[in-house]
Amino acid sequence: MTLQREITQHIVSEYLPDTPAEELAADYDLIATGVVTSLQLLRLIGWLGDRYDIPFGDLDIAPDDFRSVAAIAELVSRHRPVAAN
Amino acid sequence: MIHWTPEQQELRAAIGAVAAELGKDHLERDAAGIFDEEGWRRLRDMGLFSLPFDPAHGGLGKDLLTTLYVLEELGYRCPDAGLGFSVSTHMVSTGVALQRFGSKALKEHYLPQVCAGTVIGAHAITEPAGGSDAMSMRTTAVADGDAFVLNGSKSFVSNGPIADVIVVYARTGAPGEVGGITTFLVRSDTPGLSVGRPVAKMGLRTSPLAELFLDDVRIPRDHVVGGVGAGFLVLDHVMKWEILCGFAITAGEMRRRLESCVEYVRTRTAFGATIGANQSIANRIVEMRIDTENAHKWLFDTAEKLQAKADVAADIAMTKLVVSEGNVRSALSAVQIFGGYGYTAEYGVEKQLRDAVGGTIYSGTSEIQRQRLASLMGLDRPVKRA
Repeated sequence: MTLQREITQHIVSEYLPDTPAEELAADYDLIATGVVTSLQLLRLIGWLGDRYDIPFGDLDIAPDDFRSVAAIAELVSRHRPVAAN
Repeated sequence: MIHWTPEQQELRAAIGAVAAELGKDHLERDAAGIFDEEGWRRLRDMGLFSLPFDPAHGGLGKDLLTTLYVLEELGYRCPDAGLGFSVSTHMVSTGVALQRFGSKALKEHYLPQVCAGTVIGAHAITEPAGGSDAMSMRTTAVADGDAFVLNGSKSFVSNGPIADVIVVYARTGAPGEVGGITTFLVRSDTPGLSVGRPVAKMGLRTSPLAELFLDDVRIPRDHVVGGVGAGFLVLDHVMKWEILCGFAITAGEMRRRLESCVEYVRTRTAFGATIGANQSIANRIVEMRIDTENAHKWLFDTAEKLQAKADVAADIAMTKLVVSEGNVRSALSAVQIFGGYGYTAEYGVEKQLRDAVGGTIYSGTSEIQRQRLASLMGLDRPVKRA
């Protein structure tokens, strides 16, 4: 499964259960539409950190990094350990 | 179990020795709501405020665990909980936010002053209408050339009346949007910013609290902390430190209270025996010990995880609940154990209960911590419609 597809699956199962994964566009704004709120952002960061071994405590991140599936995939690609890529 | 080095133990003992000399008149100052300026200066001169900060900016470069270890001793030795609260607020509100998210220029200019205690820091988050719902804040920051213009008001600003620098959280995006909050470093003498009179409160009265009013306050763009829209993540980071540092002091206070209760029940007699021989009293003491040790374990376990860069979103919420609610139980038991002496103001036992109640409200109420935990467990996850 590609990285972007795996993230899409997670977003759909956790936050958008009525949306088929293939209908969630990679650039769909998860923040402006209220899919990812403040509490859910913390849960999402926790999942990404565990799943992809990303040291969020060391990173300069902003909510924009979680605005869409594409943005999240880009963030993960940039920061996950090389061996896991 | 953490094994502290001789250097860490010496540091803790040194701060403890000074802290033990503070707060002699804390009951009188509590009654009058007076901040201990002399105590602040003495702790400042010991370097307490600089503990966790980068030596390049005037800090001592100690890690989070060492910082908690020392702050716990401050709470144990110094009976003025309000002074401890102001110390923690100063260090985390401004210093921690700057160290993690500040630009090089902001760090170089302000962190040495925060470390040296030549400025006092505060942060302004809560608003009159929003309460715990920080994401719905109404204070706005509108871009205007090379600056932002802030308008609105903030409530419950700890250290507000004595602060020189205030970290202000304001809305730069859509209401409720997680990327809609930005953090600004604001000097308290900035035109348009005014601080209300100290607000009377139930406990922690020696730590002054005020409202803050922002009327066309112009803040240069280079005073944004953490980037535009990053306010929620700044706040989340600062709150982790606020809970750990602030409640490490509380854990020290709980240990001191437990020891004073044990001493009292071993010497106070009734019906021909020490009152500690009564099972109902002994049980209270045992519960106080469990709460005290739980507080210590949760704080240091969570700090260890945070220091190791682990995700502590749930741990922080549980730590806050364990320590703050355990502290209220412990303080209430102390009042009951001391009886009439606990209820009257002369011995300061009832003051500890008043001080403890605030802990279930500031830094995110108990209700918010439980809501956060429920959300992290996915309990608010939407269900698929049939």
